[in-house]
Amino acid sequence: MYLADLFAAGLAIGCVYSLVALGFAMIIRATGIIHFAQGELLMLGSMSALSTLWLLPTLPAVLVLVCGMIASGVLAVAMEFLVYRPLRLRRVPLMNVITATVGMSILCINAARIVWGSEPLRYPELFSTSTYRFFGVVVSPQLVWIMVFGVVLMGLLQLFLKRTRTGLVMQAVAQDAEVAQLMGANLTRMMVYTFAIAGMMAGAAGVMFGSLFFSFFEMGFVLGIKGFVAATLGGLGSLAGAMLGGIVFGLIETFSAVYVSSAYKDAIGMVLLIAILLFLPSGLVGLWKARS
Amino acid sequence: MPEALLEAVALSRRFGGLVAVDAVDFSVRAGAIHGLIGPNGAGKTTLLNLIAAALPASGGALRFRGEDITRWGPARRARAGIRRTFQNLKLFSEMTALQNASLGLHAGTRAGIFAALASTPGQRREEREIAHGARRALEFVGLAAQADVVAAKLPYGHRRLLEIARAIAAQPALLLLDEPAAGLNHTEAANLAGLIGRIQALGITVVLVEHHMDVVMTVCDTITVLDYGRKLAQGTPEEIQRSPEVIEAYLGSAHALA
Amino acid sequence: MESALLRRIITGVVLAALFLLPVFEPHQFFLHMLSLVAISATVALGLQLLLGFSGQLSIGQAAFYGIGAYASGLLSTKLGLPFPLAFFAAGLIAAVTSLLMVPITRLTGAYLAVATLGFSILVYLVLKNEEWLTGGSFGLMGIPRASFFGYVLAKPAHAYLLCVSVAALVYFALLRLERSRFGRAINAIRQNEDAARACGVQVTLLKSQCFVIAAFVAGLAGSLYAHQVRYLAPTDFTFWKSVEILIMVVIGGMGSLFGAVLGAAVVVLLPEALREVGDYRMLVFGAILMAVMLFGESGIAGFLGQCLKPFSKR
Repeated sequence: MYLADLFAAGLAIGCVYSLVALGFAMIIRATGIIHFAQGELLMLGSMSALSTLWLLPTLPAVLVLVCGMIASGVLAVAMEFLVYRPLRLRRVPLMNVITATVGMSILCINAARIVWGSEPLRYPELFSTSTYRFFGVVVSPQLVWIMVFGVVLMGLLQLFLKRTRTGLVMQAVAQDAEVAQLMGANLTRMMVYTFAIAGMMAGAAGVMFGSLFFSFFEMGFVLGIKGFVAATLGGLGSLAGAMLGGIVFGLIETFSAVYVSSAYKDAIGMVLLIAILLFLPSGLVGLWKARS
Repeated sequence: MPEALLEAVALSRRFGGLVAVDAVDFSVRAGAIHGLIGPNGAGKTTLLNLIAAALPASGGALRFRGEDITRWGPARRARAGIRRTFQNLKLFSEMTALQNASLGLHAGTRAGIFAALASTPGQRREEREIAHGARRALEFVGLAAQADVVAAKLPYGHRRLLEIARAIAAQPALLLLDEPAAGLNHTEAANLAGLIGRIQALGITVVLVEHHMDVVMTVCDTITVLDYGRKLAQGTPEEIQRSPEVIEAYLGSAHALA
Repeated sequence: MESALLRRIITGVVLAALFLLPVFEPHQFFLHMLSLVAISATVALGLQLLLGFSGQLSIGQAAFYGIGAYASGLLSTKLGLPFPLAFFAAGLIAAVTSLLMVPITRLTGAYLAVATLGFSILVYLVLKNEEWLTGGSFGLMGIPRASFFGYVLAKPAHAYLLCVSVAALVYFALLRLERSRFGRAINAIRQNEDAARACGVQVTLLKSQCFVIAAFVAGLAGSLYAHQVRYLAPTDFTFWKSVEILIMVVIGGMGSLFGAVLGAAVVVLLPEALREVGDYRMLVFGAILMAVMLFGESGIAGFLGQCLKPFSKR
């Protein structure tokens, strides 16, 4: 069933977008910054995991994912410590911070090009080549695992934020940093955690995307923008919105590529982005809230 | 019956479930200094923002000189003669005091891009007029000596005065003052009261949102009291000070009336 | 010496030097590079108006640069339009396209930036995919040199003079704008949009006008580029081009027209001067971008301004 294939593909890529979108949402909530380098965290996680896989070819898929996540998590924290924190402490205007994240993005992309070259890199087979059957539908294990990993990660994040003390403090800081500080929250540490988690989500997304297609030094650019589109579609600043937006956008994009035009596949995201920014800035979540 | 310069009819503003301004009828007589007071959260600043179009109204209508301006945006109202100051100062911090005041006169001139590219005599004359008007505004509020000081470097009291200078530079018909005495000491507040009186003498109608009761009672001709977004009372300062409803609304508050 | 007089003298000297340069240094490659600097400076000046003056971060200027380049190239190759017409048409077409962006000017900060980015990606995709019009990935070839009424600017020196003239004209026009009422108003918009509105400034209108002017200027520059290199490919006008233009403005100094020119010179010439850096070029620029944001946004122009302070009387 062709439709089922498309649906599965859409959901899988949607999970990837959701994870990137979550990173955007978390950073925006905590700092107000649109983190242009988010896509690069995805890319660096993807490439690092690949390098690890070259070193240890027998590594199981889960550990590859974890390696990628650790790599991007560390890089995200480094970014925060070396660049964003000094900017924040100097109370630099927002425009300059955004420009700095653009600079970070450029730096990462070109560093990756130097380290890994400009050719696309294939992931070796992470999963068995046999296919799974769900209700008579043939699905590639790749897609299934991506969805499973994606859902598990998002679920873990929700648990972390809602059930652990640190998670609750992070949410408090995102809502009102000043008051949270008065209550004893360590703002600096929460910032580090925020970036670390955003980085890990992006890294996971990078490994997933890489295993599905391939990795290359510029992959973060377009995926980053698409993750942003997903976050905006869901409702910028909302974590639930980021997850919802990712899945919805993944499905829209996959189906449009087939039924509308494949050359302009990337254009769909851009048009959607501009349309949302102009006409529905509070996204799907905002629409939901207005209804109730 | 003295004519109303500004008339609000059942003006409302809702934020989701919260009604900040609840169907307020409100009219300002031309040439008067009209105070707007009420306990915290009464909706005074929201009402002012509705008049200035900083917020769109959720219901009701607003008339200025008999014309329905409900749908007008802030820039259009400013050009029509409604100017304002902001509670938390919105100055152009990188510009000098003179430049800030000059912006107050921006709307009156007609030179656009193409005129800017060619330096026509008309444009040069406009520039001179703007500079002249800006200086006069600064002198009026007492900042003539600070004309070339960058706004960010001015002390707080002067920054408040600068906002007023910028707002009156174009001699607007209606001036909206949003807590102009906030953060001023006793002397500065008294000077401000004097300044508002002099502004009235220029023929400018003033609507004043303020907590500083000394200033309000000294300067205002009429006072409207809001509570929970609704109009509680309206009258002269003496009438307001004696009104039982008003006293009850303020009971327990640190601001003692009279 | 009076500051204004000093500035006039310096301007005169610099202009004279620029125009007389071909006489003293007629080396072909050198003049070609300087032509590219002048072309890049023209685009950067437009972005300076948009970003430095009105505070709108647009990372999609390459779109208008590309539209201008392709418009001029196509009009002269396919329709045989003479250069002067193609040149102005390029600017106009870019300007008209920017009207599509007018709704976007309502957005602020990073949202505006992302929207301009999205727009520029859309333009790039159209340039790449519409092969029947643009030649797609194969590019547009055989664009004639610039010419005026039959006289072809075959000599590099003449092409150079054309580019420098355009850049100078744009520079002085924008300088005029900066010092006018319009310039003050958009500066006010950058510093405090709400306050500007309260003064009666038509914020959305002026912001849109800035976009259109920046697009027009970028379109003109694109036309010059097309007739200078005479071959266009969509890859010349990607996001990275927009970023390069942004870097020119940032390195040169936000808010300084002269800075935009300096920035253009640095971005175009530095990789040539330091051949070995070549590959690391963008890496270095990324780092510089961050460094400038960290340590003060007045860039090179600001730095020079500080140096010259003791010499000018206020």
